[in-house]
Amino acid sequence: MPSFVIGSLPLCFVNLWTSTYHLLKKEVTLEWRQKFTLSGVILYVFSTVFVVYLSFVTVQIQVWNTLFWIIMMFASTNAIMKSFIQENGTRQLYYYTLVPPTAVILSKIIYNVFLLTLIGLITYFLFIIFAEDVVRHRALFLLTIFLGSVGFSIVFTFVSAIASKASNGATLMAILSFPIIIPILTMLIQLSANAVGMVQNTAYWKDIGILISIDAILLVIVFILFPFLWKD
Amino acid sequence: MKNWWKILAVILMSYSVIAGLLTPLSPAMRHLDNNVAQANTTFQCTIQGYNTEFKKVNTPPRAWLQRDSAFALCASNIQILSDKEMKLTFDIPAKVITEGSKEDFDLIVDTDHDGSMVLPDAILVKQDSSSAMLIPSCTIADLNIGSRSFTFPYRPIIEETIRNLYFHVSLWFAMVLLLMLSLYYNIQYLRRGLLLDNIRSSELIRISVIFGILGLITGALWAKYTWGKYWSWDLRQTTAAIVVLIYLAYFVLRDSFEDLDKKARISAVYSIFAFFAMIPLMFVIPRLQGADSLHPGAGGNPAFGSNDLDNTMRMVFYPAVIGYTLFGLWIAQLWYRVEKLKLKMLEID
Repeated sequence: MPSFVIGSLPLCFVNLWTSTYHLLKKEVTLEWRQKFTLSGVILYVFSTVFVVYLSFVTVQIQVWNTLFWIIMMFASTNAIMKSFIQENGTRQLYYYTLVPPTAVILSKIIYNVFLLTLIGLITYFLFIIFAEDVVRHRALFLLTIFLGSVGFSIVFTFVSAIASKASNGATLMAILSFPIIIPILTMLIQLSANAVGMVQNTAYWKDIGILISIDAILLVIVFILFPFLWKD
Repeated sequence: MKNWWKILAVILMSYSVIAGLLTPLSPAMRHLDNNVAQANTTFQCTIQGYNTEFKKVNTPPRAWLQRDSAFALCASNIQILSDKEMKLTFDIPAKVITEGSKEDFDLIVDTDHDGSMVLPDAILVKQDSSSAMLIPSCTIADLNIGSRSFTFPYRPIIEETIRNLYFHVSLWFAMVLLLMLSLYYNIQYLRRGLLLDNIRSSELIRISVIFGILGLITGALWAKYTWGKYWSWDLRQTTAAIVVLIYLAYFVLRDSFEDLDKKARISAVYSIFAFFAMIPLMFVIPRLQGADSLHPGAGGNPAFGSNDLDNTMRMVFYPAVIGYTLFGLWIAQLWYRVEKLKLKMLEID
């Protein structure tokens, strides 16, 4: 390896972290200024939960568990869709001249993890209000929400980056991401089935491990692939 | 010779179809008319053979009721009724079970022509009280191999549909191999930027999807005969369907771009991402402990134990996998050439 590459490595990482930090700050500021996106998603979750419980009236634990993750998944798609699709091409081009492309995706993924965790907590809160709190192991359930947010965030953010390149972004977003999200969704439903006490499985650490490794693999792939995606 | 592998593909595919469909199943016991016996009585039953030729025996056939490796009972009388039917008589002594009041015994029949046949847990023997006193066991020895050696194993329920393995499983294996090759070409495309690499990869994915759909159809037909339903939301069925969906979405993605380079670059990125998202789906989740699947190889077992694939079947199965893979390569190559010509026409225009 030539010496200048080794020499510039730490600098490159510093650059990545600082750019990620600034981009993250930008995302939060933007979100704060145009509150309608966040409130839109919250309203979306609210109306979905409302309609679902109006139709079901009472639900069993199994349905509770499945509904939670289905609603969470659709809300996440809606929340993340805007990551790339709503930003216009010229502004993106401007970012890419300033910062490494990995910083762009990393900042969006981190921001979306926070956003989705928030959406998850709100959904959970609404479920408690409209139905009941069936969760027995609250710590495990909250951990599952967080892990789910990480997985959803990685997949949906990346797919939204892909879909934003095409004209029919919204349709593509659904058909591209849903098959890919299913393994993560299966693991999540399995884990939260544990948390609501549907199954008594003491080996849930293994599930958590698998979920983390799926997330890690996808994150690495996203990091490798994203630089090829952004340049137009 | 340049095209030797195409000839090999045709030979291997024809071999797997012909050998897979024509090889008989090994002789086996299919049915018993009576499966509950009482201790201290004479027990009679008629067995129905499958692919058996009882009339062709040279030495008298033998039969045992086996409780475990330590104890077995010999048949007192064996009468051959026809090629497919044999009447067995056992004199069951008063004390045959050491614990409890009933136990399942395996039935073993051995003839010099058909070889030995086992029906596990075939006969339930009831006894009034358990006893430690036992009559001496009748030894099971010198079992015959049978006159027909190239046969597929007989399995209850699966029976003749065992041949579907050479279509169903081979198609899946070929699909995964072709997808791996397409992954290689897509990585090459991102590294070197040659559009032709991307077209190669795309055509490989096209044939893989077709193999995948055929694999789903053969699987559904097999499921109808063995599990009773075409689709039973089995874990593997679901994951297989999802894999096909992922790659169908790939073609929708490709079709939404006009610009050739953009199409190639973005679809390559998606297909690499999809491949790595698919790995946990195909190879990890079905093997988890507690993952319920009707497929063999689920719930932590290896996919092919000696129970699922014996040596005779391997002799057809592996050539079938190679044959389908080469055939897929061939088709992909033809499609690739068509796409290449289209590209040339664009350049001329």
